[in-house]
Amino acid sequence: MKMMVKRLDRIFYPKSVAIVGATPTTNKIGNVVLKNFVEGMFDGEIYPVNPKYDEILGRRCYPQISKIAGKIDCAVLATPADTIPEIMNECAKKKVGGIVMITSGFEESGRTDIAEKIREIAVKNNMPVVGPNCLGVFNPYSKIDSIFLPMYKLERPRAGNIAFITQSGAVGSTIIDLAAYYGVGISKFISYGNATVLDESDYLEYVMNDKETKVIILYIEGVKDGRKFLEIMKKVNKKKPIIVLKGGQGRGGQAAAKSHTGNIAGSYMAYNAAFKQAKVIEADGLYELFDIVKIFNQPKPKGDGIGIITNGGGLGIITTDFVEKENLHLAEFSESTKKEIAKILPPYGNVGNPLDLVADSGVDSYKKAIEIMMNADEINVLIIVVLLQTPPMDERIIHVLTKASDDRRKPIATISVGGAYTEAYRKILERNGVPSYSSPTAAVKAVERFVTYSKYIKKLK
Amino acid sequence: MTMVDDFELLEKNGFRLIPYKTAKNEKQALKAADDLGYPVAMKIISKEIEHKTDVGGVKTGIKSPEVLKIAYAEMMENAKGFEVDGVLIQKMARKGVELIIGGKKDPQFGHMVVLGIGGIYVEIFKDVSARICPVEGMDVEEMISELKSHPIIDGARGERPLSKKAIQELVLKTCKFMIKKDIKEMDLNPVICDHSGCDIVDVRFRR
Repeated sequence: MKMMVKRLDRIFYPKSVAIVGATPTTNKIGNVVLKNFVEGMFDGEIYPVNPKYDEILGRRCYPQISKIAGKIDCAVLATPADTIPEIMNECAKKKVGGIVMITSGFEESGRTDIAEKIREIAVKNNMPVVGPNCLGVFNPYSKIDSIFLPMYKLERPRAGNIAFITQSGAVGSTIIDLAAYYGVGISKFISYGNATVLDESDYLEYVMNDKETKVIILYIEGVKDGRKFLEIMKKVNKKKPIIVLKGGQGRGGQAAAKSHTGNIAGSYMAYNAAFKQAKVIEADGLYELFDIVKIFNQPKPKGDGIGIITNGGGLGIITTDFVEKENLHLAEFSESTKKEIAKILPPYGNVGNPLDLVADSGVDSYKKAIEIMMNADEINVLIIVVLLQTPPMDERIIHVLTKASDDRRKPIATISVGGAYTEAYRKILERNGVPSYSSPTAAVKAVERFVTYSKYIKKLK
Repeated sequence: MTMVDDFELLEKNGFRLIPYKTAKNEKQALKAADDLGYPVAMKIISKEIEHKTDVGGVKTGIKSPEVLKIAYAEMMENAKGFEVDGVLIQKMARKGVELIIGGKKDPQFGHMVVLGIGGIYVEIFKDVSARICPVEGMDVEEMISELKSHPIIDGARGERPLSKKAIQELVLKTCKFMIKKDIKEMDLNPVICDHSGCDIVDVRFRR
């Protein structure tokens, strides 16, 4: 399997792609996928394959794989299930680097017989197969894109350093769309469907060694080999943080339980235990995945001392409440920090953590306060609450926060609660790579996960 | 399989149980209690009874032969309609906190071990934490700290903290045992712990 995982490079960085089942009929999968390549700035060779046509979207169409003269790195298959084994054999003969199998109608429809054949052919020829029954792959670095949802309906995210590995295509497409919307940059997208040949553990291993990937998001519903999964999670998570969402946390399949343990410990409990053992970060829902992953792009905190800056007392207090709930602690300001802060506060201001800059303070106060906290050794993480609605606040705050994030001295999380005006600002911050949250809960939760993970990594060293 | 078979299997695998004896009738029960020394607990032995407490099949804190006789009669009355193999007389456990240490074989991950606050309300409070076997000492420490009730283990209300060493040992042993015997499900419940150790009071298996 090792070899096959390595060979995934030919799928993710192909110089030539064959789309088997390409068609001129709009909104058919074979059409959308071909369009992705033709219109999506893929600059390698594109070979549509379909015996019914000579030309599709202005490209020469081939009757079958074997009739293509050039080398093929990746074949995207979108033909009916029954045709797959034969096409795979042809791919093997042609020494195709790897296959992305979008087609459905295998294990999930009771056709384990074809699935078995797929596995056989793949293993025999050491030919990696992503899928079947999936969206396949997207790599913004190489522009390979087998996602069969039209680009005008589903925006593609920018290049970045988050790898998404998802069992479900539906969750996958949602993630892609949201990532694009929030300006989250991704390194690799892998929707692996039935995992007939390669499974979640293999993909985790692949992205662990992928130089573009720094953080991994994983969505799973079930795994086949829990032990292998646990071991791989442990290994990968030490190098790159894994943020996981487990779908299907129900308590099915326990009817036969005879003991209390059997009754309480459903299958989800085993997953939950495995996540804890591997020290991966478990998210509670789709949006939380994004909330958490945002902060993981920041430099790791050296400790757990939190500093809060706010221009709204109440929001500072609510944020502090969550800091306590999450068992984090507010840093105690040193004497020199206090002195520095006193200089920037109006005479009636209070030096304390959370640091309330009060509502009539503007961008400059933020700039100074951030600088002081960046220099204070007792503070390891900055939570910056910005009420954008106050009169002195203006667009220069974007620059100040972006710089605080770009300087990469300490991790920051920003919180701005509000309506359309605030959300517009938040979106700019997101696009600038500044972790921006619309609620203190989300921000503090993310900070807690990041602090805990960083502690774990520090302990390993 | 009865409770006695389960007890014996555990003992064979290095678990230390509180002293017990089995009895087929009242006379043997009195003799057993005498040998073990009062106070004792008495438990019904029956393949047909799933949860002994629910049918009045457990009496604890029996202090004298007179009380034992009454308890024995009551228990036999409660168990009418079930096939009864006798009773188990057990020395009373130490006073302490009731824990549950259990495990099951998960179809994907294999054997896992569970630790929680035990007793008869386990399934109501569901305050348990779990790990995939095998586990190390560090894992058990984390399991303890994940429990909502961990302050009880750390010594609440002026009590001394429970022996984490004893808890750890039991959890590790449970994992090893489940793997070795390929146990499908098991409960050590309650396991009564204080600052100096733990007593396994009752067990249940699915092999």
